[in-house]
Amino acid sequence: MSTPTHLIRAISVIAHVDHGKTTLSDRLLEFTGTVAPRDMVEQVLDQLDLERERGITIKAQAVRMLYQADDGNTYQINLIDTPGHVDFSYEVSRALAACDGAILVVDASQGIEAQTLANVHQALDHHLTIVPVVNKIDLPHADPELVREEIQKVIGLPAESVIFASARQGIGTKEILEAVVREVPPPTGDRSSPLQALIFDAKFDAYRGVVTYVRVLEGTLRPKMRIQMMQTGRSFEVDEVGVFRPHRTEVEDLSAGEVGYLIANIRNVRDSRVGDTVTDEARPAAAPLPGYRHVTPMVFAGLFPTDTDQYQQLKEALERLQLNDASLVYEPESSAALGFGYRCGFLGLLHMDIVQERLEREFNLTLLATAPTVEYRVRLRNGEEVPVDNPDKLPDPAEIESISEPMVLATVVVPSTYVGNMMELSQERRGQFLNMEYQPGDRVVITYRMPLAEIIHDYNDQLKSRSKGYASLDYELVGFEEANLVKLDILVAGSPVDALSMIVERSKAHQQGRRLSEKLKTLIPRQLFEVPIQAAIGGKIVARETVPALRKDVIAKCYGGDVTRKRKLLEKQKEGKKRMKRVGNVEIPQEAFMAVLSLD
Amino acid sequence: MMERIRSLYLHVPFCTWLCKYCDFNTYAVLQGLIPSYVEALSREIDVQSAMMPIGPLETVFIGGGTPSLLSGDQLQRVMAPVFRIGLQPGAEVTMEANPSNVTSEHVAAWLAAGVTRLSLGVQSLQPGALRFLERLHSGDDAIAAIRVARAGGFDNINGDLLYGVPGVDLSSWMETLDAVVAEGIEHVSAYELTVESGTRLGQEVRTGLVTMPDAEAQLDQYWAAVDRLKVAGFCHYEISNWAREGYRCRHNLAGWHYQPYLGCGAGAHSMLRLEDGTTERRWNVKGPHAYIKAVGEAGRAVDGRETLSPERARGEAAMIGVRVLEGTTATQAFPDQRRQLVGAGLLVEDAGRVHLTRRGVELANQVGAAFLR
Repeated sequence: MSTPTHLIRAISVIAHVDHGKTTLSDRLLEFTGTVAPRDMVEQVLDQLDLERERGITIKAQAVRMLYQADDGNTYQINLIDTPGHVDFSYEVSRALAACDGAILVVDASQGIEAQTLANVHQALDHHLTIVPVVNKIDLPHADPELVREEIQKVIGLPAESVIFASARQGIGTKEILEAVVREVPPPTGDRSSPLQALIFDAKFDAYRGVVTYVRVLEGTLRPKMRIQMMQTGRSFEVDEVGVFRPHRTEVEDLSAGEVGYLIANIRNVRDSRVGDTVTDEARPAAAPLPGYRHVTPMVFAGLFPTDTDQYQQLKEALERLQLNDASLVYEPESSAALGFGYRCGFLGLLHMDIVQERLEREFNLTLLATAPTVEYRVRLRNGEEVPVDNPDKLPDPAEIESISEPMVLATVVVPSTYVGNMMELSQERRGQFLNMEYQPGDRVVITYRMPLAEIIHDYNDQLKSRSKGYASLDYELVGFEEANLVKLDILVAGSPVDALSMIVERSKAHQQGRRLSEKLKTLIPRQLFEVPIQAAIGGKIVARETVPALRKDVIAKCYGGDVTRKRKLLEKQKEGKKRMKRVGNVEIPQEAFMAVLSLD
Repeated sequence: MMERIRSLYLHVPFCTWLCKYCDFNTYAVLQGLIPSYVEALSREIDVQSAMMPIGPLETVFIGGGTPSLLSGDQLQRVMAPVFRIGLQPGAEVTMEANPSNVTSEHVAAWLAAGVTRLSLGVQSLQPGALRFLERLHSGDDAIAAIRVARAGGFDNINGDLLYGVPGVDLSSWMETLDAVVAEGIEHVSAYELTVESGTRLGQEVRTGLVTMPDAEAQLDQYWAAVDRLKVAGFCHYEISNWAREGYRCRHNLAGWHYQPYLGCGAGAHSMLRLEDGTTERRWNVKGPHAYIKAVGEAGRAVDGRETLSPERARGEAAMIGVRVLEGTTATQAFPDQRRQLVGAGLLVEDAGRVHLTRRGVELANQVGAAFLR
């Protein structure tokens, strides 16, 4: 029996990383009996092993809960768990677009952080009703009163609406659910209108094809219906519709306001794009829902198998992974130094990290990743404009009219003590200071316009280390800007290693070249011969370091049991070498290729 | 049929003091166990030798620990099953001894028990070095020990020495070497002081309390010893071993030539060649208590074993074979690696054998690793 529209709620939980979003979601599932406590795997909503290990959500989840409220009604509350990292902000925006309200979780000892604000702004952009919760009130350093005041002053939510909770101990769960049914408005759609359903995620299932996560905003979605994806134009016949409780459960239909999934023999997540609108082919909606964006990768890197025999396996693994990850793009790349591999585009560094780790874990590959870079736009003298996502592919300087780089608007939230450090860091990173705002709780919000390239190079780590971990960062792409950039090449043992090239600002090129050579000297292990490392700009050597030859490697004693021990030791060393890439006759470890990321 | 065994190693895991650099399987506080350990060892030799084709033995090596802590009777008790296996005429029976234990009475007892070769842990003659190494004897004690052994009838004596000891410069090292060689011993083993992670020295180096000499200084001392011993008439036959003509250690050579051997005693390793051509390494339980208990119950105390395929065993054979400096044929199965190493100047080929170059000696691990998978 379907729930009357006025008893449906769709909410999301938003929070800064580690503020307890997942634990709170788990408590809601438990309290509403959606999941029996004994079946409760810690953090039900994060399904990927990787997600559980890293404590972050990569894919959105959507669970239907039934809650009998104090007013006697049984409400259908749809909980949509959003990805918790800045790399996935578009996915977050679509998940929020599928909601009517949001539970805002703020840590009682950390207070409001950069991502909290970014999330709140996003939620307000989507006209969501916010239920503010101060979590972890049971922790020794908790100061819930101060955080409540902060929420009122910074976000403008009335202090009396703030709920104190400890998700870990289950304190406040009922109050939160009551606030949700009381404050969050019911959906406004009409079950008999032409179908309009928003896709907010998609997952590939080996047996059923793509499982598309939708919120029906208008009309009703039923099996056997012929549907059309309004952005891509592809159409499919619906096989099954259902809801998550928390496992997939088939239902007769999904009508306006409801959240669930559809299965329609879709073979590729690309045909089920996040943000697209599902409509009835026979009776289409007048227009697609607003806000669709074709997601473009921000960060690019080469992935190469350390063992060249694994190239084919890598290709197949990327194909498989892409079925489930529409934001991953790749194309074949060949490097003189690293052989055959793939140039991949990612949403951000975390996304890159996750993809690499999944490829290695789930497909048993050993990969070498080159340093991530952004995509530049190069205007040639002949008037043509070409995108360059690989420093080595930068055209000849003689042909270049100008190079533009992607710029972001970066928001840093930090206690006032560290403002000086933040200013200094951002200046080093070519940041243009835009604004600074003091907020209660001794917090300062600083905004910069800054090249994306500077952000991906270790910026977040530096931010944390120069603020004792207190600073937090959020950023969004705001366009391209011309800059004075040059290509820095690295020569190892006299030969250029294409995979070590980087694009840097001209005024910093010498210094970067020097630092990179120094760093490489410490990362490239001693070989049987001396290995010179040179940095060059346009054929001119600007820095030189030398890795001295291995001087001595011999054990004094080798008798009886020593033999086994020695063999095992040497075998282990050899195993370690397999993670290195042989370039010419020099063994270069993975860290060397990432060295450009941490030159400060 | 398993390949017949001609070499036997016996381990005596007791010391009066555990020197801070030593990571051998040895114990200083368990000397009260010696009598029951001797019984167990004797029993294990009997039981093991009944289970495999063995003897007559060409070499026996009693190592430790400090085997010279055994009384004459105890040594006799250990040697009895060895004689039951049988010794080849002219067999080499080496025993390690601490200079502090070398008295004319002991020497007579060792000879009477059948020991033919004495390996003395001299280590250094420099007072500072001996203190650093925590040796309980003086340099004079060590020289006296050589003389007592010689006077008592040992005509095959090795002196174990350590170089690269912090605080010992090249000329002090040469003084030690010269003085020991001047005693007319037949064999010298000179080992670089190696920092092992599980030792107190390892900890002192990690915490910065001790700074080890750099590779350059260690190699200087090594090559100076190589030159000096050559002049003194010694043949440099293994990376850390020198002998006068006819006095190479046959037991250790058998190991480097990858001959099978039986090891008895706590933590002792054995290497057996099985009938299907595979090589088996097995090892006994390490602790003396557990060893005595296991032998009491089962007659043996095997704790683990590892079977190497013929291919892997060939790699291992090549890895240790190259340590023998007159050359080895053990690398024959690896023509590609051999060519590379020759190209890199680490090996030279000579009438079907290969041997390490000077640079190859310095990087012998790199050479050895090339033959492993």
